[in-house]
Amino acid sequence: MIFEDDHGPMDGGDDLVAAEYVVGALSAEERRQAALRIERDPVFARLVEAWEARLSPLADDYPEVEPPAGAKQGIDRLLFAGDKGVTPAGASAGLWQSLAFWRGLAATALALLVVAVAVPLLAPRATPPQGGTQFVASISPKDSDVGYLAYYDPAARSLSLAHVSGERGQGHAFELWAIEGQAKPVSLGVIPAGKTIRVRISPEIGKLLANGGTLAISLEAPGGSTTGQPTGPVVAVGGLNQI
Amino acid sequence: MTPQDITKLIVRTSMRDRAAFDSLYRATSAKLFGVCLRVLNDRAEAEEALQEVFVKIWTKADRFAASDLSPISWLVAIARNHAIDRIRARRQPHSDIDGALDIADPAPGPEAAAVAAGEREKIHGCLEELEKTRADAVRGAYLKGESYAELALRHGVPLNTMRTWLRRSLMKLRECLER
Repeated sequence: MIFEDDHGPMDGGDDLVAAEYVVGALSAEERRQAALRIERDPVFARLVEAWEARLSPLADDYPEVEPPAGAKQGIDRLLFAGDKGVTPAGASAGLWQSLAFWRGLAATALALLVVAVAVPLLAPRATPPQGGTQFVASISPKDSDVGYLAYYDPAARSLSLAHVSGERGQGHAFELWAIEGQAKPVSLGVIPAGKTIRVRISPEIGKLLANGGTLAISLEAPGGSTTGQPTGPVVAVGGLNQI
Repeated sequence: MTPQDITKLIVRTSMRDRAAFDSLYRATSAKLFGVCLRVLNDRAEAEEALQEVFVKIWTKADRFAASDLSPISWLVAIARNHAIDRIRARRQPHSDIDGALDIADPAPGPEAAAVAAGEREKIHGCLEELEKTRADAVRGAYLKGESYAELALRHGVPLNTMRTWLRRSLMKLRECLER
């Protein structure tokens, strides 16, 4: 690599890539590749960490800003729903939701998978994720106030949704879709009412999600779309990010 | 809260201790929200990013044990990298990154005091050894996650020139810090 000033050729190699990653100037694709290397190459990961340490005093310039009061609730719903106060009433609500969801499923017949139960995804003392990568998505309002936070664990093939905001209203259902690139949306089924929903993911859809797919929610008639494609407006959308 | 306290909270979080996770959120969410807000420059998006960051912290807290970073640097790195990934995923980068950001001047937080003042002076001293525009580019990339493309546009130079500037600056910075 030749530089234009008079210090002569310089080949920083991996250390330079690590520095560029940490300083934050790389493009999306370059960052994705660097993040993959951090996972797979411990020597490169050490170079990145050394740069994080070197530049960390610059982070003093970030101000402290109190986050909105509701932010923590969304996190807790996703991670700990059903953790406390599990009562018989709560249990029957879960069953009812489950049945409603299955009825919805039977009506759509096209939905590819399902099982929704209001159970904790990661209750305290639950087995921690067995390594590997997981994904999160903020399914954000699009011309609506509907929002969900999603967490996908490929090892468990489990997609968890925490309801953040917005109501479906009488006579409507929320249907969840997975979209990869320009391909047609694939239905993940009708989202049952509830603060936290866990969906079991088929291997095919799991592959789609792990490729960094997008999740979208459309407003449909009760029971969901009968055409296999969204028929109502898309009210929320969000891309899965590897964590 | 001391760095040792935060270390304990991260370790207990890695053992699925929810009370520790709550305390960790209380102690660090303002700093991490500050990071997300500065990079993303949008409160709603910064809130989403913060939620994703804490899901990640809960999920990956065990990795802290293998890191040599100070606890707050480790947490800031997670938030910064996540926020930068998010802003790269946007189709249109914000053209005026500072414009809409209306927040009070930073008051030094406890972690600021915890960082050795010497280290802070040293890196700022080393940045001052660079040409001003190049030091600005390093700060812009680090604090706001500005890409080579955005930096080149702002400084009115070709992308490859900006890449060369920044790479050369980073290597000089390292040399200076290791002096």
